[in-house]
Amino acid sequence: MTEAEILHWIRETSLGATVRQSRWLFATGETLHFIGLSLMVGSLLIVDLRLLGFIRKISIRSALKFLPFAIIGFLINLATGILFFAADPHMYWPNPAFKLKMALILLAGLNALVFTVAEQRHVLTLGDDESTGSFTKATAGLSLGLWLFVLLLGRLLPAFEGSTSFF
Amino acid sequence: MEFLTWLEQTELSLWLRESDWGHPIVLCFHAVGMGIVVGVSLMFSARVLGYSKDFPLAAFDKLFAIAWYGFAMNAVSGVLLYVGEPRRLLLTPAFFIKMILIVLAGLSVWVLTKALHGMESSPAAVGAGHRAEVVTTGAKIAAVFPILLWIGAIIAGRLIGYTIPPPPPP
Repeated sequence: MTEAEILHWIRETSLGATVRQSRWLFATGETLHFIGLSLMVGSLLIVDLRLLGFIRKISIRSALKFLPFAIIGFLINLATGILFFAADPHMYWPNPAFKLKMALILLAGLNALVFTVAEQRHVLTLGDDESTGSFTKATAGLSLGLWLFVLLLGRLLPAFEGSTSFF
Repeated sequence: MEFLTWLEQTELSLWLRESDWGHPIVLCFHAVGMGIVVGVSLMFSARVLGYSKDFPLAAFDKLFAIAWYGFAMNAVSGVLLYVGEPRRLLLTPAFFIKMILIVLAGLSVWVLTKALHGMESSPAAVGAGHRAEVVTTGAKIAAVFPILLWIGAIIAGRLIGYTIPPPPPP
């Protein structure tokens, strides 16, 4: 299948058709996307700011307990994002803001994976007032920075509708 | 109304309404501020409702200090969004509902901090070497309101885009 055929096929799925025909599905999806975004920001602020040392004297375990909210927020936004995409794949796919957003989400996911595999077990052994290593701080800073750009690109996405490059 | 018609013709209003980037950039700030304010508030409510009990409530002081920057960002970007469409926004009830819900949400967070104020550390918990804090049932009830009101404000905000009529004639 060519790219055009795949996009056409996605558009013609029952999901795509349902979203386009429904008066409220897209708006409800957007609202949920905002709630999911807020859950991610709140959770990641707690986790990453503790790892960065901006908030201290807190057990890292108790800060990391807030991570499931970020995962729930991400899953809400993944599901609603698929819904948006299915409704109008031809708008999203060539959109440079969409492409960069997806690439940054993958990077942010990879960054989270690196932290989980290489760092999480070690930081959980640290005391309440102990500082994390510079590698952990780098992953925490990257996490905040990448997700901030993901948010901004999402909001800018409609402004790039119809363009195929940023410049 | 005359003032609003004047406001609508200012350079700033025109730029916010008609330039390529004015509106999207302001919306970006508005979304980041929302994420910070609502996100911190939701985590605070979750903590008061019993989530991650070892996480000290006092740690939210610093998080709320950041949330205030988020709120300031949204106050400024919100005023700018209004300046872009000063008469048109008054034509949808969703706008008024959103403003009321934001005021109520802010008040509910303040009430929640008051409900927690004067709360004492449980001697048993301290004796056991824990730093778990005792949260009253009243505070837990108070913690539900910010969740509902912020979600309501987000819904109303989204509805503005769907219920706003075409621009009124000049």
